[in-house]
Amino acid sequence: MRYKNNIAILALLMILPAFSQAESPSGQALAFTCAGCHGTDGSSVGPSSPSIAGMDPDVFIDVMKGYREDKRNSTIMNRIAKAYTDEQLKGMAWFFAKQELQVSPQKHDPQLAVVGEKLHQKYCEKCHEDGGAPGDSGTLAGQWMPYLKYSMADYIDGLRPYPRKMKRKVDAVIEAEGADAVPALIHFYGSQQ
Amino acid sequence: MKYIPPRSPVWIFVFLFTLCFFTPVQSAVSELTILGETPPPGFDPVSGERVIPNERCLKCHGDAHEKTDTRDDGTVVDIYADPEKIKDSVHGEQACTNCHATISRVPHREAPDVVVGCVECHRETWDKHRNDPEGKYERLGVVMETIESYYDSVHARPNKHDQSETNATCYDCHEAHDIGTLGSHQRAEHRLKNPEVCGECHRKELNEYKESVHGKAVLEEKDSESAVCSDCHTTHTIVDPESDKAKLAITKNCGDCHKGAQRTYFDSYHGQVHRLGYTNTAKCHDCHGGHSVKGEDDPTSEIHANNRLENCRVCHEDANENFLTFWPHGDADDRENYPGLWFFKIFMQTLIFSVMGFFWIHVFMWLYREVMDRIQGKGFIEDLNKPDVVYFRRFPAVWRWIHGLFAISTMALILTGTTLLFSHTGWAKAVVVFLGGTEMEGIIHRTAAVIWLGIFVAHLAIAISNIWSKRDTFKWFGSTSMLPNWKDWDDLKGMFKWFVGRGPRPEFTHWTYWQKFDYWAPFWGAAIIGSSGIMLFAPETTAIILPGWMFNIATLVHAEEALLAAIFLNSVHFFNVHFRPERFPMSTTIFTGAIPIEEFKHDHRLEYERLIESGELDNHLITRPSRRADLAASFITTVLIMAGLALLTLVLIGLMTSPA
Repeated sequence: MRYKNNIAILALLMILPAFSQAESPSGQALAFTCAGCHGTDGSSVGPSSPSIAGMDPDVFIDVMKGYREDKRNSTIMNRIAKAYTDEQLKGMAWFFAKQELQVSPQKHDPQLAVVGEKLHQKYCEKCHEDGGAPGDSGTLAGQWMPYLKYSMADYIDGLRPYPRKMKRKVDAVIEAEGADAVPALIHFYGSQQ
Repeated sequence: MKYIPPRSPVWIFVFLFTLCFFTPVQSAVSELTILGETPPPGFDPVSGERVIPNERCLKCHGDAHEKTDTRDDGTVVDIYADPEKIKDSVHGEQACTNCHATISRVPHREAPDVVVGCVECHRETWDKHRNDPEGKYERLGVVMETIESYYDSVHARPNKHDQSETNATCYDCHEAHDIGTLGSHQRAEHRLKNPEVCGECHRKELNEYKESVHGKAVLEEKDSESAVCSDCHTTHTIVDPESDKAKLAITKNCGDCHKGAQRTYFDSYHGQVHRLGYTNTAKCHDCHGGHSVKGEDDPTSEIHANNRLENCRVCHEDANENFLTFWPHGDADDRENYPGLWFFKIFMQTLIFSVMGFFWIHVFMWLYREVMDRIQGKGFIEDLNKPDVVYFRRFPAVWRWIHGLFAISTMALILTGTTLLFSHTGWAKAVVVFLGGTEMEGIIHRTAAVIWLGIFVAHLAIAISNIWSKRDTFKWFGSTSMLPNWKDWDDLKGMFKWFVGRGPRPEFTHWTYWQKFDYWAPFWGAAIIGSSGIMLFAPETTAIILPGWMFNIATLVHAEEALLAAIFLNSVHFFNVHFRPERFPMSTTIFTGAIPIEEFKHDHRLEYERLIESGELDNHLITRPSRRADLAASFITTVLIMAGLALLTLVLIGLMTSPA
């Protein structure tokens, strides 16, 4: 009898991995719940919610964990983020990373954008390469300008921790170009459509 | 076989086990999937890890306008890696993250530590390609050897201030982004940079090196032929410079360039001891300075005339001005610069070749004659039906003891002396180790020399005393006299005639001419070897009265004369006494003191007849030595002959393998 029980336990252990992965919705299904704010497949149509299509998956996870652990200033994302496991965040991250960013035209000052481009090349390009296109430091090019404005304000006001080295670059660009520096950069990113 | 019912849990187990192989979880080679999502572009589809292209790294690290970065704590770090150099190096096709394997994100979210492991990648690549037929990875075999050497080196040991780090690792010396293949410009540049690279840690040594002839040539004149650190200290087999291994390696490495100096150094006592593997004598850097080696014209040089004596006094505390005339690199083959040394070498070699040439011809012709005679049934043949009963007393006990001690001390001198002379051989090194090192060997050599000279002097005293006591009747050229006379000359000619079959075998008196030669040769030997040996015995004392170059002469003649004695005694003397067919395999007369009367009659017929005539023969006749005395004499003779032949073999090996 003991022999039979042992076999049954062993069999149960063998079958467990086969069933375990069916417990969570897919990354894609989870990502659909974000569409209300961040647009279909992550290409936002609203000015304050950032586009997350094509977003670097590690940046996505960093951001979500920042919200989940209340380390990043938010409106409601800190509440939403708490619902996800690490695995779910990764599934969503990989889904959004594979979506092509659909950029909506934004009203911008072309002259300011030209200044912004120069500043970007000098101060930002090494991390936000290719003019801030979706990459390993997030997405700036084509990002919604109001979102960028609020984000920069959060950084400058100390509400969002700067990534390594960014503070000294932001300080340097403001010191060099004054109050127009950040708007110029935002207009440059907004100008990319 | 036991029957298992169809509904048994065993079947369930088998079914589920099989099922496991078909579930996605078990399929190891397929793409990684997390919640139905595969990794996005830019990520490895199997591992899910980010793939960082080199261009992304070089965006920052390849910017020649911004070669440094300031860390949050204010420290400035060099972050530049020249993209062109990387492309041009042997690692040009590698991804940055293959070596910088801990880098998983760019831009770095935290200041990264440089964690690079060179060994495993090289080892794996070598294991994978070592049998490739095209040999593209052949050089990796050398890299494997250097890795092993590195692990044994002092650089691979934990640092004494921080045991979590080694003293130095691969990339402390090798600029990994700029490594070239054999013969490449990178390697040439790396060689010139070698002192600076080592000097990063070894600053004091670098500063000394900068002032040296080597340093000036390399660092100022960019002469890549001159010595850099690794030429002397080796590249990867670096050990504690105070260790014997390092000292031996450095001296050897000096000689890689300074071949002539090394050859003459190895001819000196300093060099002979060193070549045996011992470092207690002067080495290149002891006299010339290590890192600060300079020419003799430089007043700050350790070998400048004004500084040289002080240099000698490091070891020879009582050295006087005469030491300055010693030729540390005296070359007996250089007639122009060392005519005295050259002359003595020519003289000694002429002596060796003529003595050995003459006596070996004598030996071979004698051998030929005796063999021919025996074939024809002539000569002295022992009559087996009439065993020897009556013997002639040839040597009193004192001469037998003297010969025994003389033989043993001579052999001890040959063994210990030739280890220095043939220090290049493996046997010399083994003998020195067996004896307990060069210092012990020196003690044995000197002790044997004192015994040898003591016997020589004692013999002289006894001989003079004997002559004095018989001064009224003593005949200087009597029948038992050792002094050479015209009959010896006639006998010599007579022997050669006999050798070639043109005359009878000469008849001899008490001593034959070859026995007289054997007797008088040690007088010459004692004069040459003894006097030179005493000079070398106590150099500081010798230098009180003799110039330093006498050490060069003494070393040379001591060795050459000893060589002559070693070869002569263990070949010619052995043949004359033991190995010629009439005596073979040996004569034990020197230890029993007795010779069978028949043999005496054959070899010394004139003396025999004189004794018969004068009626003195009976005074010299004795009975056969006891069986025990005979066995003991045979044993001692056998041991000495075997030892002598072994020494002769070692000497001949040494001569034949001598570096040109």
